[in-house]
Amino acid sequence: MFEKKNMASVYTATAMLIVAVAIAVISGKSYLKMRTPTAGVDRVVPHAGFVQKKLSDYFEGIKDTPADTDVYIQEGAEPGGTALILGGTHANEPAGVIAAVVMLETAVVRRGRLIIVPYANMMGRSHTFPQDAHPQTFGFTTSDGNTRTFRYGARITNPVHEWPNPDIYIHPASGQTMAGMERSNLNRAHPGVADGSITERLAYGFMQLIKAEQVDLAVDLHEASPEYPVVEAMVAHENAMELAAMVAMELEFEGVPIRLEPSPKNLRGLNHREWGDNADVLALLLETSNPSAGRFRGRTDEALILTGADKAYEKAAGLGRLYVPYEGGTEPIAERVARHVTTVKLLADNLEYVREGKGITIEGLPGFQALSERGVGAYLSE
Amino acid sequence: MDLKWIYWGINVLAIVLVVRSLYREKSLREQFVAAMVLVPLILRAFFIK
Repeated sequence: MFEKKNMASVYTATAMLIVAVAIAVISGKSYLKMRTPTAGVDRVVPHAGFVQKKLSDYFEGIKDTPADTDVYIQEGAEPGGTALILGGTHANEPAGVIAAVVMLETAVVRRGRLIIVPYANMMGRSHTFPQDAHPQTFGFTTSDGNTRTFRYGARITNPVHEWPNPDIYIHPASGQTMAGMERSNLNRAHPGVADGSITERLAYGFMQLIKAEQVDLAVDLHEASPEYPVVEAMVAHENAMELAAMVAMELEFEGVPIRLEPSPKNLRGLNHREWGDNADVLALLLETSNPSAGRFRGRTDEALILTGADKAYEKAAGLGRLYVPYEGGTEPIAERVARHVTTVKLLADNLEYVREGKGITIEGLPGFQALSERGVGAYLSE
Repeated sequence: MDLKWIYWGINVLAIVLVVRSLYREKSLREQFVAAMVLVPLILRAFFIK
């Protein structure tokens, strides 16, 4: 493009300096905008009956830090068990976040208690991953024509909150070594460390919440790439396997096939392993299929997040390279959210069979068909 | 003293040196390279905080 000729001058240097500063200012402002989103972005409208608390109410160590997050609790009239639902452990897995928000805005608890944390790692919501080209937000049109907008974040805590990461991360509780970046991954930091890094302290906060509220059922909502073997799956701690198996069968009857995976005993730091080992709780993690986070994807925009339609994934499906059917060349977010909501509902419905007297009855949640057909926007408040 | 101010100082020093090179280079190609290097340095020094 620029041959090495002596055409350079103070004028060309000044022009290039101006262009460089302009690019930096435009992209810098865009980056900072994610840190302070405009009003309405990520807004939630909890259903009547939910009481709002903070995670720092359970662990002071994250009070007034960017790690602190909202915790919503609804208690039914009849005593029963307690369920904890987490969305946004990984902020680049939108169906997990949105399923938690839909449940927060529609759930009516008749028996037991329901605790929902829609944005588990707030520090993952303030940035997107470098060079992944993800859009900063995506939205849904509600029944009355308004738009509800949510941030599309990253898998890990924003490096501005804990930097630099080590070359190798040593999981404090087990000594297991992992890639250095995993230090900022909430789902490798469990059960957490009271005086550890900010992500480890956040994980510690969730452990304290589970113990303080005597949670019986804890479910973390995730998404995985269609080419990843653990997708459209339920990963269960051995304590929760009986419940998970019952629910897997019921899902099959409803025409929602799901894999059932045991939580690996030697893979530490994940919530389904550490919560189950460190508390009297049935811990599970759910995965749906998210092409917008996959490595095969092409153009990465809001449409990909919402529809999951991608030509490269269609070709990969034709070659048998995916672990999901990818029918019709799409993976609509409404179906992915419906999968999560339906699975959580069935887990709550069946809890009584494995924990006598700890049943949970939740009404008002949209069914799989209704949510898939009407879309997410129909179940979000104005 | 907070380490972040040391990192910030190194960053600003790098910006000064790259701008100096930008004006000393005799070819458009080298000036273009210097300008490209400036972008992440400016971002890191003034926007990532």
